Amino acid sequence: MNSAQIEIQLIASLVAIACAIPGTFLVLRKMAMISDAISHAILPGLVIGFFITQDLNSPLLILLAALSGLITVVLVEQIQQTGLVKEDTAIGLVFPALFSIGVILIAKNANDVHLDVDAVLLGELAFAPFDRLIISGTDVGPKSLWVIGSILTVTLGLLFAFFKELKVSTFDAGLSASLGFSPVIIHYGLMSVASITTVGAFDAVGAILVVALMIAPAATAYLLTTDLKKMLLLAVFFGVLSAISGYWMAHILDASIAGSITTMLGFIFLMAYLFAPSKGVIAVIYREKQQRTEVSLITFLLHLKNHSEKSERHVNHLCEHINWQKVRAKTVLDLAQQNNMIIIDNNIVSLTDKGDAFTTQAIDYIITNEDAQIEDMKDDFFLFRG
Amino acid sequence: MNLNEYFSLVFSDYTLRTITLGTAILGAVCGMLGSFAVLRKQSLLGDAISHAALPGIAIAFLITGAKDSNTLLIGALVSGLIGTFWIKGITTKTHLKSDTALGLILSLFFGFGMLLLTFIQKQPNANQAGLDKYLFGQAATLVESDVWLMAIVTGLCLVVILLFWKEFKMLLFDPDYTKTLGFNTRIIDILITSFIVLAIVLGLQTVGVVLMSAMLLAPAAAARQWTNSLGTMVILAAFFSAFSGVFGTAISASQNNLSTGPVIVLVASVFVLFSFIFSPSRGLLFRHIRFIKNRRDLEQHKTLAFMYHIAKTHDTISHPHTIKILNNFQGFTRGTLQKLVKKNYVELDGNMWSLTEEGFKTASNLYNQQNNE
Repeated sequence: MNSAQIEIQLIASLVAIACAIPGTFLVLRKMAMISDAISHAILPGLVIGFFITQDLNSPLLILLAALSGLITVVLVEQIQQTGLVKEDTAIGLVFPALFSIGVILIAKNANDVHLDVDAVLLGELAFAPFDRLIISGTDVGPKSLWVIGSILTVTLGLLFAFFKELKVSTFDAGLSASLGFSPVIIHYGLMSVASITTVGAFDAVGAILVVALMIAPAATAYLLTTDLKKMLLLAVFFGVLSAISGYWMAHILDASIAGSITTMLGFIFLMAYLFAPSKGVIAVIYREKQQRTEVSLITFLLHLKNHSEKSERHVNHLCEHINWQKVRAKTVLDLAQQNNMIIIDNNIVSLTDKGDAFTTQAIDYIITNEDAQIEDMKDDFFLFRG
Repeated sequence: MNLNEYFSLVFSDYTLRTITLGTAILGAVCGMLGSFAVLRKQSLLGDAISHAALPGIAIAFLITGAKDSNTLLIGALVSGLIGTFWIKGITTKTHLKSDTALGLILSLFFGFGMLLLTFIQKQPNANQAGLDKYLFGQAATLVESDVWLMAIVTGLCLVVILLFWKEFKMLLFDPDYTKTLGFNTRIIDILITSFIVLAIVLGLQTVGVVLMSAMLLAPAAAARQWTNSLGTMVILAAFFSAFSGVFGTAISASQNNLSTGPVIVLVASVFVLFSFIFSPSRGLLFRHIRFIKNRRDLEQHKTLAFMYHIAKTHDTISHPHTIKILNNFQGFTRGTLQKLVKKNYVELDGNMWSLTEEGFKTASNLYNQQNNE
């Protein structure tokens, strides 16, 4: 590994961390698409900033671009407040218009501007180490490292200073307002951080892929935990992990670094989506299947309790009476037998004492719907758990 | 070339005619389907799908090695559909919300597509140049066969919409009711979503991945302001969209260095802005005018009621009073007094006013409707 490679990985990791923090809150506040809007709408700000400064890393350009991101947020809210269209339509109306203005500004001044829309959207991390920051003659590292480093420092400072406020206003805006933390100020604070991070990160990973770095780690973490601190840490971890593994994948394939970082993010998300312990798709499908069986079991037990005559309780009869297919009937019978709820004697099914007590409880539960009644049943059954 | 030249050339010049027809047809189909997307609160779906189509284009190129736009479109269609159904999967099976799902699919698919595109660029295949036109679209690359394809798809889409109009409409406004009537909502849903994906994929070549979503929803959002009927909205949206297509092409053709996509989007945005402000029933301007008018009416009523209470204390209604006593009353202005005179509720005599018989009657009926006789 040479120093350029280390620097690239360092920049990518810092970008990942800087994006994961506001990203987590955006995902929790159901505003993930705002980050997409911001990432497109910074273009006119960037172009105007570039006309003035001629330097993609100057602080003025970053401020101007972040300002145009904030203008997007304000415009979306204004349009939404008129009540003429829904919020998502408002987002979808504002950012393409701003983005178009940016593209046209670039196209009309193509001769004076060394700014490529591709470069803005896609970024090129591989070139980042060549743009060095030189302070009084000494080389102190790549410019983008300093830019994203300072953005990250500010973000972290704000996070630690306002963690409590952010947490309250994210989960309960009403409570936060009544406690005296203005949700509006926190909202705009978060939006400013998101805008500045997007701008700071765009020339490393490109504007669209900033969105991936904001949303994907947070969404992956959200599938694995419901604790805000753990979610933040996990999001940062996933971000850094895919930044570094993505870099090496790009190295091997000789392809875009930003693209392969996103692909790694996608891969990690796919894994969590499929295999997350309680919220992954496989777990959910398994749980739904269990619940279906359990509902059948209770139906079955109720049926037994209601019929004392032997003909109603014959194994063969059950299939046609409750209208179950053979396989399902067998699953339910086996489950009931395993739990000692029923005994089968001469193909006649009858409830045991335990089954009888359970059925009574179940009826009580269905009628009263009170949690306290079923506390002790929760261990045996998925169905009654939360 | 200026605008006049453009319009004189549009029927004779092959390229201009193709592009104009292409954008017009594309606009029409996007407007029609966009109305459904906007009303189904799926406005941003277009954005997500258009980005999600990118890896499909790259993979189709990798498999076939040819840049035939039809095969690339099929690739885009497949990957757009996968994206759409994955979004559905995420929102129904996990607790992630739709905005997160959209953002995820959008950025992840797009990033993967970029990876593939840069990978393709490194391949020793001279044919690969120009795949990135799908990013921003280049209407100039449209040829007659593309326009034919668009026309066929638009026709198909029109037939399906007319055939399933009732089902689509019902699913749009009351999915539960549709289900209870015995329609298979899932199939209707898949049908309309697939057509939205198809329209988006068709537009990629012309306006590109990034701006396709605006093409879909801006005309629909504009049309929504002018009507409350779905049929009118669909037709209006198609018209707005086709017009922005043609007009955008005209502007971009008459200037140097203007790509068509952004101009079309800006024209559509102007439509939206215009509709937001000037639509008679919902527009901001008329809403504000109605607001002011209502406030004036209320003030006039207040003045009249105040006069009524003064007049009530006197023997005759027409007992004159000085205008001065109205001065410390908020609803009173010279204007309102003049209006009351015009309505024949009040008579003025120099500095004195008095209520007329009619004014007294109206005033007594203002807040309660008891003295109607």
